[in-house]
Amino acid sequence: MITLLQSNFILDSLNDFVSQSGIGLFFAPGGWKMAVMIGLACFLLWLAIKKQFEPLLLLPIAFGMLLTNLPGAEMFHSEFFAGGHVHWEHFAHGEAGLLDILYLGVKLGIYPCLIFIGVGAMTDFGPLIANPKSFLLGAAAQLGIFATFIGAYALGFAPNECGSIGIIGGADGPTSIFLTARLAPELLGPIAIAAYSYMALVPVIQPPIMRALTTEKERVIKMKQLRQVSKTEKILFPVIITIVIALLLPSAAPLVGCLMLGNLMKECGVVDRLAKTVQNELMNIVVIFLGISVGATATGDSFLNIKTIFILCLGILAFSCGSAGGVLLAKLMNLFAKEGNKINPLIGSAGVSAVPMAARVSQTVGQEYDHSNFLLMHAMGPNVAGVVGSAVAAGILLAFLG
Amino acid sequence: MDKFANVGWIEMLLMTLIGFGVVFCVLVLLIFVMKGMGTIFTRQKKAEKAAKAAAAGVAVAEDDHHEAISDQEIAAAIITALKLYKSNLHDQESEMITIHRIARAYSPWSSKIHGLTQLPERK
Repeated sequence: MITLLQSNFILDSLNDFVSQSGIGLFFAPGGWKMAVMIGLACFLLWLAIKKQFEPLLLLPIAFGMLLTNLPGAEMFHSEFFAGGHVHWEHFAHGEAGLLDILYLGVKLGIYPCLIFIGVGAMTDFGPLIANPKSFLLGAAAQLGIFATFIGAYALGFAPNECGSIGIIGGADGPTSIFLTARLAPELLGPIAIAAYSYMALVPVIQPPIMRALTTEKERVIKMKQLRQVSKTEKILFPVIITIVIALLLPSAAPLVGCLMLGNLMKECGVVDRLAKTVQNELMNIVVIFLGISVGATATGDSFLNIKTIFILCLGILAFSCGSAGGVLLAKLMNLFAKEGNKINPLIGSAGVSAVPMAARVSQTVGQEYDHSNFLLMHAMGPNVAGVVGSAVAAGILLAFLG
Repeated sequence: MDKFANVGWIEMLLMTLIGFGVVFCVLVLLIFVMKGMGTIFTRQKKAEKAAKAAAAGVAVAEDDHHEAISDQEIAAAIITALKLYKSNLHDQESEMITIHRIARAYSPWSSKIHGLTQLPERK
């Protein structure tokens, strides 16, 4: 028996078995990163389930992160997408796994566009059509994108990475993923997690900024009733916006086009089945695929570095600047507005996309100061304008840096 | 990365200014487009209403603001006002306990010996 145990073959076999097991790989060089990432994935799962922070996306993202960091499982191969290109030969030879195949949807920009169809089908652009000035607040809130773009450059990021980090300020998950997958795919994990985490934290981030930049008198401004928008206007809106933006900025056409397609499906009223499908089944399926595959990109090597910490800090800066930009422009517009036509500056912060949470924050903060002041519909105008604005900003950054 | 080898602070600042400027210009253009569309539809609506009113021999109301408010919005406003009013109505409690313990004297009405299960006594 002792002779058997002492034989090299058995010892080597046992050694191989232990070193190839998942637990053994934790002790291999760099294995600690996987352990940390598994811990982080579990923390995100806790945030999603217990704290309900954007659970629809954070849960699949966290689980994708868990899968990709399981040592030895090799569920996702980032080398198949190295250098910003898809190495199709691995797919042709059947080496790619499920997560690699699902990630193609992110890499080729399919999922964000499909999600935008669903978002369009769930969005009512009525408040924006009734008050087109809201577009200005939506534009001002894009300040967060460009301030962060410069901030990221100051921290030493490459210009293409700056573009991807800046787009976090658009507070629009699909747009962030769409742009990052094209400009800096290696940062996709941290950027997606920063974007969705901060979107969930909009009710925490925005109110102090809104209070700091407004006076009590401004917070109780009651806005004029919005006019009624006819069905024809609602049908023409997506068509006109698509034509205008695609002609001016073709690089923004995929996102804006898909958003407006979804909205047209909803408003025209003749394709109810399609509208319901894109709002529910299609949206849910794509969210699952997108979440898992984005989470899978967050490997220890790509996530656990100083860049991630910078990205998380810049994300806060982006959201704060965006919210401040909208509020400040609303105040500026009030300087030139007649009495009775004044804008409550609290709706300016809704110009960062985060539909409809940012609009709800405006409503909640407004009601703290006047219970009879209903700002929700007024805030929905800048809120949906922010979606269009961030898609336009993404198109510009893609045209410059892509 | 070679593509960005010659990109410095000046280029980045220019990109920022141009980018932000383009976002503003595109969205301002959309404001004009939407305002134009709104004006056309509002006029059309007014003309339709005027034609209807003329046919019915009723004077057209001048106040556009009131025209814009739909029945549903009026109903929503009334319901919200009622809810707010009712939510402010509370029963004012004195916070004093008003139930007093009462010492009950014996009463044959609650006595079990006079219960229905008692059979009449035959004498």
